Amino acid sequence: MACSTNALWAGETTWFCCGAAWGPCGSAGGGACGNCRSASNHGAWPNASQACWDITRPDLCGEGGIARRGCGSVMRVRHQCTGAAVCITITDCGPRTKSWCGEQACCNGTCRVNRVLDLTPAAFSAIGSLSSGKLPVVITE
Amino acid sequence: MTPISSATAGDRFGRRGFLTSAALGGATIVGASALGALDADAAFAAPAPSLDPAVTETSFVEGRIGAIRGGLLTAASSEGETHRVQLTNATSIWKARPTTADAIEVGDGLYARGVPMPDGSIAADAVWVNIVNLHTTIRGIHRDRFYLSHGNHELVGRTIPETAASYAGGALTSDLSRLRIGQAAQVLGAWRPADDSIDVVRVTVGH
Repeated sequence: MACSTNALWAGETTWFCCGAAWGPCGSAGGGACGNCRSASNHGAWPNASQACWDITRPDLCGEGGIARRGCGSVMRVRHQCTGAAVCITITDCGPRTKSWCGEQACCNGTCRVNRVLDLTPAAFSAIGSLSSGKLPVVITE
Repeated sequence: MTPISSATAGDRFGRRGFLTSAALGGATIVGASALGALDADAAFAAPAPSLDPAVTETSFVEGRIGAIRGGLLTAASSEGETHRVQLTNATSIWKARPTTADAIEVGDGLYARGVPMPDGSIAADAVWVNIVNLHTTIRGIHRDRFYLSHGNHELVGRTIPETAASYAGGALTSDLSRLRIGQAAQVLGAWRPADDSIDVVRVTVGH
């Protein structure tokens, strides 16, 4: 898969830390793929494997058709309003969509509902502020 | 917050030039600025974008701050590298809240985004000090703190004046009374290196 503009999904993204890190993130480990790094443009996809899907369960929030994309898959993540974009590599499983059904991230009056992607601090900060915690995004590949 | 959707190429070059010239010129450090547009609560509560798109090609570094000299931060990354981050009068700084450079201390953790400089340093557009965003489970609730589990580790989350909660996707509220033991909770806050606790800015729970 390339970092391209073919539609894949749209929704809310949050951020998480992984790999060697300071503070409570120091125990996060390298993620499901073993190579996740906070300072790299990486992401966690809720259908990285069947075992991953069984944990994240986005279908319980009405997001049942999310495609399987495993470790090493490449995606383009674009902020739905600013157009800021970043290319990421999937290195982990997440987020646990089922824990936050109905959560929204909005801009310019348009909202995206449900967590469908987690980004590392490097990737998230390329399209928004870490202090916002969540962003509405369009994901392509 | 700076409206950014209408930014032009000229704006972008102007912003980039401003950052780099400020860094090269040893700009006065004044902390968070309107240009950076990184007010945490405003970014969350108001449905507006938060990134200044003027910085189109960014560098990102993380690490622990080992030295502060003027506006230059030296940070040791978790991968063993050394980074130099130059603060300018265009740098937005967050440490539990939008703040100024004098709030940054040796030993703090840092994420920094900015423009790469010819000497290998970064002219910072934004610096987030000690910021964490953790998937936790609430294990205990006291008047001024939470007991949280994060993976296999226990954490203490301290409430601060800014602490707010979001319930089931709803708006932020200072009412923390609906939090329950056993709930999955996303905690955005600032790590305290001195005692390894977290100053909780926002706790988000689902249904």
